[in-house]
Amino acid sequence: MPEFGLFLGCNMPAIRPDVEKAIRESLPAVGVKLLDIEGAACCPAFGTFYSVDEEAALAVNAWNLALAEKLGVDIVVQCGSCYSTLKIGRHKILNGWKEVIDRYLQKADLTYTGKTDVRHIIDVYRNVVGVEKIRESIKYSLDGMKAVVQNPCHVLRPSKIVGFDDPEKPTALKDITEALGAKVPYYEREKQCCGGSGGFAKRDKKANLEFTKKKFDSMKDEIDPDLIVVSCITCLLHLDSIQEEMRKQGMIDYKIPVFDYSQILAICLGKDPDKVARLSVTPRDELIGRVLDNRI
Amino acid sequence: MTINLDEERDKTLIEEIIELGGHDLVKCYQCGTCIADCPTGIADEPLSAKRIIHMIKLGLRDRLVEEQTPWMCVTCGGCEERCPRGAEPFEIILAVRRWQCREDETYIPLVLGEIYERGHTQNIVNASELRKSLDLPEVPPTVIDRPEYLERFRKMLRETKVVREYGYIFGIDEEE
Repeated sequence: MPEFGLFLGCNMPAIRPDVEKAIRESLPAVGVKLLDIEGAACCPAFGTFYSVDEEAALAVNAWNLALAEKLGVDIVVQCGSCYSTLKIGRHKILNGWKEVIDRYLQKADLTYTGKTDVRHIIDVYRNVVGVEKIRESIKYSLDGMKAVVQNPCHVLRPSKIVGFDDPEKPTALKDITEALGAKVPYYEREKQCCGGSGGFAKRDKKANLEFTKKKFDSMKDEIDPDLIVVSCITCLLHLDSIQEEMRKQGMIDYKIPVFDYSQILAICLGKDPDKVARLSVTPRDELIGRVLDNRI
Repeated sequence: MTINLDEERDKTLIEEIIELGGHDLVKCYQCGTCIADCPTGIADEPLSAKRIIHMIKLGLRDRLVEEQTPWMCVTCGGCEERCPRGAEPFEIILAVRRWQCREDETYIPLVLGEIYERGHTQNIVNASELRKSLDLPEVPPTVIDRPEYLERFRKMLRETKVVREYGYIFGIDEEE
């Protein structure tokens, strides 16, 4: 049975712990053992140490990598930006920064050789678990439903460092969503960033709303999806809550439920929706009810 | 933006940005591919890596200190992926943020102090009741719930330049 250290990051365990619950239920149910990375910290996010002191940022990356390496496992992570900083950080540490970073780790009584790598959860579902295993494990399906997928930017670019999928035509998240029985048609703004990361939404709310509206209108007009499937805590929070803001401002008049992939998978596996998909701004109950009517 | 070429120009600026992580800055030939797909392009004052690189090359130090747009970056990596010259515009944006923090410490995000304090940007402890109701550990076994790890984490961070130089952000008395 493959084993991974589950890297939680900061937002998921604090704001959407139902996603953490969904991951802890779903991955083991499809044959992946999860270990806790005791002592793990912030990844650190690009807006924190990376924006002030690169050496400090790499030291914090190394702290997390070293703790996973002590367990003898690779890291699995859902948050796109945690994935990206850990993966880029690892790349830098192993390509020129190692001696400098080793001195920091020494102060913390840790070592990192580079053995432990970082995998995004989409990569693990698609390439470690596989679509067949997912298909044969589910008890309920998305048969008859249309989904759109939101690939986290951070798992696609820069592809030479973080990539496991085609950066211009990613298929992994689509493949594993189709394995649940949904149709995942293409729409024009499929690859548009959710707009939730970094300082954009905070610094120019109006532009951010207009930007995200373009994406929503494109999916609504071209597909009229039953649900949006994401696999990043920022995409989840932003695409869920910004709909409410757009509705309040009269920018849109529709609601599209948003699920993290592990949440919709957990529901299809028969896990309790009140534990694995309890928290959302845009209502999801009706969609969950339809899935539970689709017993295989 | 109009650039007055009589303005004070600093030839060392480019070296400072390179030193802080914008290693491939000189490769930029101002094609603008970096702006074409930038999510912030829709804003009244969008982030333009092209324009910022040009400012750096011209050595417009005073303008660069005041430039707020690098902090709008969504970190999506679009510019980094598509730059035909491999100038690594995203790394340049991060380097500019670092340079601004060095020139004007009010740029330093205060969340750094929170990471030092509890290991996370979020106070996960506030979610204890919710987590318990989901049958999760009330607090996950990260550094926030492991004092012995937190002490080692802080010990490591106290070696870093940012903590040594700006102790007040981290609740460290500089007199000590």
